[in-house]
Amino acid sequence: MSRPPLSVADLRQLLAARFPEKMGKPGGVVPTGVRAVDEALGGGLPAGRLTELVAAVPGSGGQSVLRRLLLSTRAARQRIALVDAADAFAPETVPPDALQHLVWVRCAGLDQTLAVADLLVRDGNYAAVIVDLCGCAERALRRTPATVWHRLHRAAQAGGAVLVKTPHPLVPAVTWRLVLATGHPLAARRLTPDAIADNLTVEIERGHAGVALERAG
Amino acid sequence: MSYAVLWVRDFALCAVRRSDPTLAGRPVALIQGEGRRATVVELSPEVVGVAPGLTAPLAMARCPGILLRLREPAAEGEANRLLLAAAFTLSPRVEFTAPGCVTVDLQGADAERTTLQMRKVVAELAPAGLPARIGVGATPHLAACAARRAEPVLAVRDAAAFLHALPLAFADPTPEQVEILGNWGIRTLGALTALPKADIGKRLGPEGLQLWERAAGEATRPLRLTQPAKSFAAEWTYEPPIEVMEPLLFRLRRFSECIALELRGEGFVAETLTLTLLLEDGTDQRREFRLPEPGGDVDGWMRVMQSHLEGVRTAVRVAGARLIAGPCRPPHKQAGLFETGLGDPAAFWENLARVGAVVGAHRLGTPVLLDTHRPDAFRLEKPAETVPPPAAATVHPPRGLVLRRFRPAWPAQVELRDERPVQVHSANLRGPVCTSSGPWRTSGEWWKPDGWVLEIWQVELAQGGVYQLAHWADGWCVEGEFD
Repeated sequence: MSRPPLSVADLRQLLAARFPEKMGKPGGVVPTGVRAVDEALGGGLPAGRLTELVAAVPGSGGQSVLRRLLLSTRAARQRIALVDAADAFAPETVPPDALQHLVWVRCAGLDQTLAVADLLVRDGNYAAVIVDLCGCAERALRRTPATVWHRLHRAAQAGGAVLVKTPHPLVPAVTWRLVLATGHPLAARRLTPDAIADNLTVEIERGHAGVALERAG
Repeated sequence: MSYAVLWVRDFALCAVRRSDPTLAGRPVALIQGEGRRATVVELSPEVVGVAPGLTAPLAMARCPGILLRLREPAAEGEANRLLLAAAFTLSPRVEFTAPGCVTVDLQGADAERTTLQMRKVVAELAPAGLPARIGVGATPHLAACAARRAEPVLAVRDAAAFLHALPLAFADPTPEQVEILGNWGIRTLGALTALPKADIGKRLGPEGLQLWERAAGEATRPLRLTQPAKSFAAEWTYEPPIEVMEPLLFRLRRFSECIALELRGEGFVAETLTLTLLLEDGTDQRREFRLPEPGGDVDGWMRVMQSHLEGVRTAVRVAGARLIAGPCRPPHKQAGLFETGLGDPAAFWENLARVGAVVGAHRLGTPVLLDTHRPDAFRLEKPAETVPPPAAATVHPPRGLVLRRFRPAWPAQVELRDERPVQVHSANLRGPVCTSSGPWRTSGEWWKPDGWVLEIWQVELAQGGVYQLAHWADGWCVEGEFD
């Protein structure tokens, strides 16, 4: 007795079940490469959701987390976008090979950044979109209406993981909030990036959306 | 080309007609009010001898066979949803301006491609019962004026020439302004803008200035953006309940047209369809269809549902129907099992073009380091279609925290003691240095006019934070912070 033919949807499900790390299907995670974060978040940044990274003090390691995320996605050959509000990313801090999967948008201010983020987070071609708001004027950040974040939440559901880097807790109803509250001294320049990333002090706060996600999964 | 307005003339009547197949090709008038005082407000093209404002009895006397209908909020809601879904296929930045009128922000969109897309949208909306017109202009108001003159798409390049001959009503004047300007003999926008703006302001006040700006095509405003569809579902309640399949199929086609557009606007296609028949006795019949190939072909969906419905028998009448589409990404190409190229190349490049229009095309791309030791030397290249396999890890990876650059660098004054920085003064940063590391001296391109010599220090300030200072030939600056 012959088996009934598989539909495309059945085949996709079968492949996703057998090769979950390769299929990158919605609802998966994007590992950051930072052990403390990946362990707490169940493997990495949740796809289709906003995660906030708060670099609360100078030298807290926020940029180091972004660097590890770049390396991690590069190793998995996933595409990543960096929406850089203050045009602060320094490409020479990352090995040249680890830039090949990056789309870097050098914005000039918060309005441009939010407009660009709104376009890119809904694009399903990116495994992760980083929205770096550090360096924006404090007053402008505070005046950003909640509807902007709500719209970004909605838009993100269609795409990959979204990491919003902020100088203080800013994004309402976020799934996860990662707070880096410990600064590093100059002596940290002798440490390897791996050692710094592995020893980051990350306070992890879970929003209502994170609770729902955990219950669902 | 910055804004487009999708507009449907006699929208309330169109909504009523598209929800009732028996009205097709027949003279229909929309009335408001009750009894003998009800007046005609909108007319279908088949009506002759009747004008808006006429009372219902008079309209029936002048046009035998005319069908009079009241507005249907549910039908208008569904038609508005279809119009919004069509607008979202043009851009994600959409405003629901008014019933039957939607404004789209086209900033960054490719003009030629968008014009083709607009004609496609009009062609798709027409069979769905919405004869939309699209106007394109530099401001939302100009686009709205263009939409009212479009046949069916009109892009206004020369705003002054276009507005010159339009009636004054296109600038939305108040009744008082109409009366005053009428007394002055002003009937067109061109006649109004021929008057000096300042003089209009003196005589008609701030409202007069706003009117003049609208007449000149200068008035602009921020859009109140609308959210895309929250779920790809539609539901209808039949009053009274139905016993045959035709009205159900008619409604399902309307659902499908709307949902297919909403899916396309979000970059999805349907993978599954879930049809629920709500029965008169409160129970329901539910059936999920898994499409053989994910897609947005409405005819294909209808074939699947019609085949199923032909075999359905219910003990009681059908009081409503609900259709839900399960979204998935469109299978644009036959990719390898572990292919790392673009899943949706069209969306990728279109989005990058829009981003380029926002920030400047030279400010996005994949960074490539230049073959020089000059700090911050890189260029941006077009992103690759496929992410190549990673190379071997570098032998000597950089150490320490990662630099965030200040562009442009902050000019600073640095106080030295024993040739080491001890105090930093700049507009954004100042304080004593508690630890410093350096100097690292570098130079290059001495054979060029812009050759450079540089001394770099890393300093930790007493109040916290590690920064990079650079001493160029023309002075000190704070290049960035380590994070």
